[in-house]
Amino acid sequence: MKTGTGEHGARVRRAVAAADQDEARPTAPARRLLLKFAAALRDYGIYFALAGLVGYFSIAVPQFRSADNGLLILLQVSVIGIISIGMTFTILTAGIDLSVGSLLAMAGMMSGVFAQREPTILNVGLAFALPIVVGLVGGALNGLVIAGAGVNPLIVTLGTLTAYRGFVVWYRVNPIYDLQPYYRVIGQGALGPFPIPVLILLLMAVAAGVVLNHTRFGRYVYVVGGNPEAARAAGINVPLMTWSVYVISGFCVGLAALIFTSRLMAAQAISGQGFELQAIAAAVVGGASLFGGRGKISKTIVGALIMGVLFNGLVMLNVPAPIQQMAIGVIIIAAVWLDGILRQRR
Amino acid sequence: MPIVRMQEVTKTFGSTVAVDRVDLDLVAGEVHALVGENGAGKSTLMRVLAGFFADYAGRITIDGRPVRIGHPRQARALGIALVHQELSLVPALSVAENIFLGREPYSRVPGFVSRRAAEDGARRLCADLGISLDPAAKVDRLSVAERQLVEIVKGVAANPRVLILDEPTSSLTYQEIRELFRVITSLAGRGRAIVYISHKLDEVFTVADHVTVLRDGRRVATEPVARWTEASLVHAMVGRDLSALFPRSVATPGEIRLEVRDLGRRRAFRQVSFEVRGGEVVGLYGLIGSGRSALAEAIFGLAPADTGEIRVDGHRVTIRSPADAIRHGIALTPEDRRLRGLIPMLSLRTNLSLRALRALCRAGFVDHERERAAVGRLMDALAIKAAVQTVEVSILSGGTQQKVVIGRWLMAPPRILILDEPTRGIDVGAKAEVHAIIDRLAAEGMAVLLVSSELPEILGMSDRILVMKAGGIAGEFLRAEATEEGIMAVAAGVAAAGRAQA
Repeated sequence: MKTGTGEHGARVRRAVAAADQDEARPTAPARRLLLKFAAALRDYGIYFALAGLVGYFSIAVPQFRSADNGLLILLQVSVIGIISIGMTFTILTAGIDLSVGSLLAMAGMMSGVFAQREPTILNVGLAFALPIVVGLVGGALNGLVIAGAGVNPLIVTLGTLTAYRGFVVWYRVNPIYDLQPYYRVIGQGALGPFPIPVLILLLMAVAAGVVLNHTRFGRYVYVVGGNPEAARAAGINVPLMTWSVYVISGFCVGLAALIFTSRLMAAQAISGQGFELQAIAAAVVGGASLFGGRGKISKTIVGALIMGVLFNGLVMLNVPAPIQQMAIGVIIIAAVWLDGILRQRR
Repeated sequence: MPIVRMQEVTKTFGSTVAVDRVDLDLVAGEVHALVGENGAGKSTLMRVLAGFFADYAGRITIDGRPVRIGHPRQARALGIALVHQELSLVPALSVAENIFLGREPYSRVPGFVSRRAAEDGARRLCADLGISLDPAAKVDRLSVAERQLVEIVKGVAANPRVLILDEPTSSLTYQEIRELFRVITSLAGRGRAIVYISHKLDEVFTVADHVTVLRDGRRVATEPVARWTEASLVHAMVGRDLSALFPRSVATPGEIRLEVRDLGRRRAFRQVSFEVRGGEVVGLYGLIGSGRSALAEAIFGLAPADTGEIRVDGHRVTIRSPADAIRHGIALTPEDRRLRGLIPMLSLRTNLSLRALRALCRAGFVDHERERAAVGRLMDALAIKAAVQTVEVSILSGGTQQKVVIGRWLMAPPRILILDEPTRGIDVGAKAEVHAIIDRLAAEGMAVLLVSSELPEILGMSDRILVMKAGGIAGEFLRAEATEEGIMAVAAGVAAAGRAQA
């Protein structure tokens, strides 16, 4: 049965539900089991997929199994993971933030400029605080145009993707390499066995999950994304909500920029190119709907992990980089296609 | 011999049987009405005939020959045309382009379509049906009613032998409905078999020759229209007697709650004055374009008024947005519940608690336990039937969805409730329940403004009736003195009956 999407799919679901309400007619147990399985696959499929990938690589590549490699994957995923948390907020409101890569370069460069100088209190403070501030300002600027002027978020952040990149190249075209040693603590430090970037990712994911699931603000994010007209009619300040998700995205980018620059111990104007696509892919593989109102932080993180595991595993299998790219591209499409199919079977 | 004979037709979706062994004969020259509550399987049955579902069970014969209809294209080739319930036009194209969508007449230059031939064809069809539409007009410029007419012309354009009309009047005015009936009758007179899906009983009695009632996917009965009465039809649809569709108890109006003075908005309405008292249901009736919905939206701040004043409990208030209106205790349930009411992909619970969320939070954190309890109480009070609170609201029936849209406001009850078409597109049983809710709210002292284009509803539920025409209030009736004819005469501008507005 192909039910299609949109209106028709909705109508079929309604018809089914209307009949469901009366009395579900007895079904063959086998068929019921199959439906249950489909539902489980829809709700938890992405976890199975991650487990499957980890299982496969563990068998195929012995060195994949080590705890060190596990931490390495988490470390590699942390920057994109944090960005994808902010991205999930914008996608939940049916928006998008394409400017994250450029904003990361801008925030990283501002940080690098001060991390290069004498480690006075002021310089150290600025090296750590400035990327966050730049991220917040860049995000707020995006949000202002999107919510205030009502320009399509895709267009606005496509514009700032170019503009922010232009700014940072103009500001400092040459990379800064000689950062002060203290600066490596964020990107390369560890608490016990756990790298600090991984802990920050974890902290951010938990915080974002709590905000989305347990606060009024989070509820309103879903509502604004699900139906902005209904949100307005319920008295919700839709422009304010819209603005704030871009600020959140900017904050995440600032934090990611700090980790990224500190991990590389270098600030470059060309940093972060393509990060927007990786972050969107993580959210979308995690089941977030680009039409808004649907998505979960936990699944976005799993989406980021899936791509991290894939990348890591394929490298260990000595798969050439171009082939890796092709594989990851196909997997993104397949994940979203499968999600759509499972969503219709209910 | 019937053109179409459907025997034991069954269609399932997953574990659910939407249409269950239904027999149906469609005879040339006859209008066959298909009635039943939402979810009864009317639309699904006709979509089977129109080739939307290849996986149906049962037999379909056309002119005595067995056929298996697996694709809409095949249904069209067999002379079956379906006019959709929900509009399926392409807004950016013209009327003519929409009518000939997929069958564009070619020009002499190979590969190019001829706009002139399409527009001429469309003009001929419209003239033939007695419909005045500009074939060159872009559909996004047309009103909802005009779009509905384009749909019908599109259905007729293929010159079908069987024309299925799925709730064609849901957005038409009284006048347009009468036009449509003329068209339907004339098509039947030319030997077409017409299927008319509706749950408006008066329409069925006006236009149908035979009536088939479906309930829970099964056929309850097929009888000539003369053998049905309104009561027997309702009984067959619902499976029980509806004691009262309009249970309005005696009102005891209190103080003036809402007062509107000389309210106006450019190009929508002007100089509107009225008041609503606590405990009173005031009906606001008007044809499409009379400004009734615009007035409701202005009071609620969706599209603020630019002249005049609004007073709540005697105090003048400024309403520039819904947030302002809510602050002053005004609520509105929108005309289009899917556009402005529901958040379709979110849960029933989220949809219901939305308005009262502030009260269910502690320091910005949702108190899930209290939310669950409050939603549960509300579902009990409104008889909202759903297996779990976490069910996605989009899969609920239209009637349940409407109760959700109304219920959202009742968790933190407003003092003034504006209901814009609260029973549009919902079935008879749910309608009675919504009316009972309205009556109870008024009895509890709420001031209710009931905006509706259904006269029986206005007459049955209102203590006072305001009639709008061309952006102004053209008449006012008390419950005792109001009649369908009297209101219609004022709304359509035939007579200045009723009590003239002072």
